[in-house]
Amino acid sequence: MRIAIIEDDEKIRHELLLFLQKYGYEVCALENFDNVIGDVLNKNPDLILLDVNLPLFDGYYVCREIRKLSAVPIIIVTSRNTEMDELMGMNLGADDFVSKPYNMQILLARIEAVLKRAYKTGFAQKLSYNGVSLDLSKGTAEFDGRCIELTKNEIKILHLLIKNAGKVISRDEIMNALWQSNEFVDDNTLTVNINRLRKKLEEIGVGDFLITKRGQGYMV
Amino acid sequence: MSLAEYLKEKLLDFFIGILCAALISGLLIFTGSNPYAVVYSLVLTFVGALICISADYLKRRNFYKNLLFCMRAMDKLYLLSEMVSPPGFYEGNVLCEALKLSNKAMNDQIAVYKNSMEEYREYIESWVHEIKTPIASGMLIVENNQSNAVKSIGEEIEKIDAFVEQALFYSRSSSVEKDYIIKEQSLREIVLSAVRRNSKTLIQNKVLVEVEDFDFKVYTDSKWIDFILNQIISNSVKYKSENPKIKFSAERIDTNVSLFVEDNGIGISPKDAGRVFEKGFTGENGRKFKKSTGIGLYLCKKLCEKLGLSISISSKEGEWTRVGIVFPMGGTHLLS
Repeated sequence: MRIAIIEDDEKIRHELLLFLQKYGYEVCALENFDNVIGDVLNKNPDLILLDVNLPLFDGYYVCREIRKLSAVPIIIVTSRNTEMDELMGMNLGADDFVSKPYNMQILLARIEAVLKRAYKTGFAQKLSYNGVSLDLSKGTAEFDGRCIELTKNEIKILHLLIKNAGKVISRDEIMNALWQSNEFVDDNTLTVNINRLRKKLEEIGVGDFLITKRGQGYMV
Repeated sequence: MSLAEYLKEKLLDFFIGILCAALISGLLIFTGSNPYAVVYSLVLTFVGALICISADYLKRRNFYKNLLFCMRAMDKLYLLSEMVSPPGFYEGNVLCEALKLSNKAMNDQIAVYKNSMEEYREYIESWVHEIKTPIASGMLIVENNQSNAVKSIGEEIEKIDAFVEQALFYSRSSSVEKDYIIKEQSLREIVLSAVRRNSKTLIQNKVLVEVEDFDFKVYTDSKWIDFILNQIISNSVKYKSENPKIKFSAERIDTNVSLFVEDNGIGISPKDAGRVFEKGFTGENGRKFKKSTGIGLYLCKKLCEKLGLSISISSKEGEWTRVGIVFPMGGTHLLS
């Protein structure tokens, strides 16, 4: 999935790019704002993150103009966070509205939700790592032809870990990700979830898939 | 102006008039005029005087009666000059003119302050939007460069953000302009989004969050109510005790929906409980926790009043605190 960032603040642009790359998105960012609409559509993105305060034309104008030419999903990102701004953005055809400064997990969740809505099929429904494949639509994990059903939380956890394979994800990060889908789990619940997930993976013959890093978190 | 008051004021005039009439009559009788003619001229004088005085009295009475009535009955007394019109006698005309002029001068003066307040508010508003950009990039840098020191700076940036947000809503709360939009919202979604927004702090502080199974439609501005809930949640975290827990519940009572946010924190001492919504009041908990500013709940109350909601707080010291927000149904409160 390719995300285009239209943001005139250099630092935010750079950091956002790094951050989204870290989460597995292909990211491109505009550096020049003379011909925003043409430039961004040339990059053929799957989603546009659009800042409202831009040089030359403001984001609302850009949003309206892009809409005339393309149906690509747009998330407006702004520091003007009144209900009025939000209504205006939505009326101009934006798909979502996130206010600055963003809680990163919220931004990720919104991006994912918008992408899911826009590209119902073909959007990373299956993930696999080291022979373990995860089917998000069916809610199952598979290894060596053996299949097992997972709960919502277990899928979320495994999904997050596989997406960040090779990196340690802290317990707080996992919880934060779960909270973004309204599962307000506490420490104990998370431990239970992780243990169950481990057991289920062992049932289909995957041992030592989930590695615990003491005091840091988990990784696959 | 009663008759007695009027007569009392005109006492000297009457006295001189009667004295003159008596002297003239005496003179006429003394010079041998016909007594009938004297009586006739006396009656004529008195009738003439009575008509003049009555007309004058009625004119004044009507004017002053209206003026006094307005003075007592009006709740916006500064509109008094609009309610009286020049009565046609000199003092009344001057009074009306004086009222109008002083009113106009005061309006000009108020406009000066209003403008400067409005300008200041606009400045704060735009300043807040400016400052959000460096805050946002700071947070992103923190997110991309995890280490203990950076993480700790991140926590501080989040505090800065919370204070900035507070300043924004403070300026909004004291504005006379209506800069919110009331829409039908799902109360559940409002609560869930507030919890999600505070996920980091709540997780870090190991707070157990429970959202009861409710679903009501309420009429409010989502951004404002989000700010109010943020303040309440951050209070719960700030004044937490062991095994912190926050519970959200809601129920419909008659024509209202009440949202309750209950925590098991340190509570509020009974002598402070009545004053928590006062501006700058920090109380006993404020002395124990030096971070209290006495602004959060004050702002909540003010914003609630503007949105037509009512907010209340109850607590048992050392055990729990419960904040209740009442949303009237049907949106009739918005008409006021």
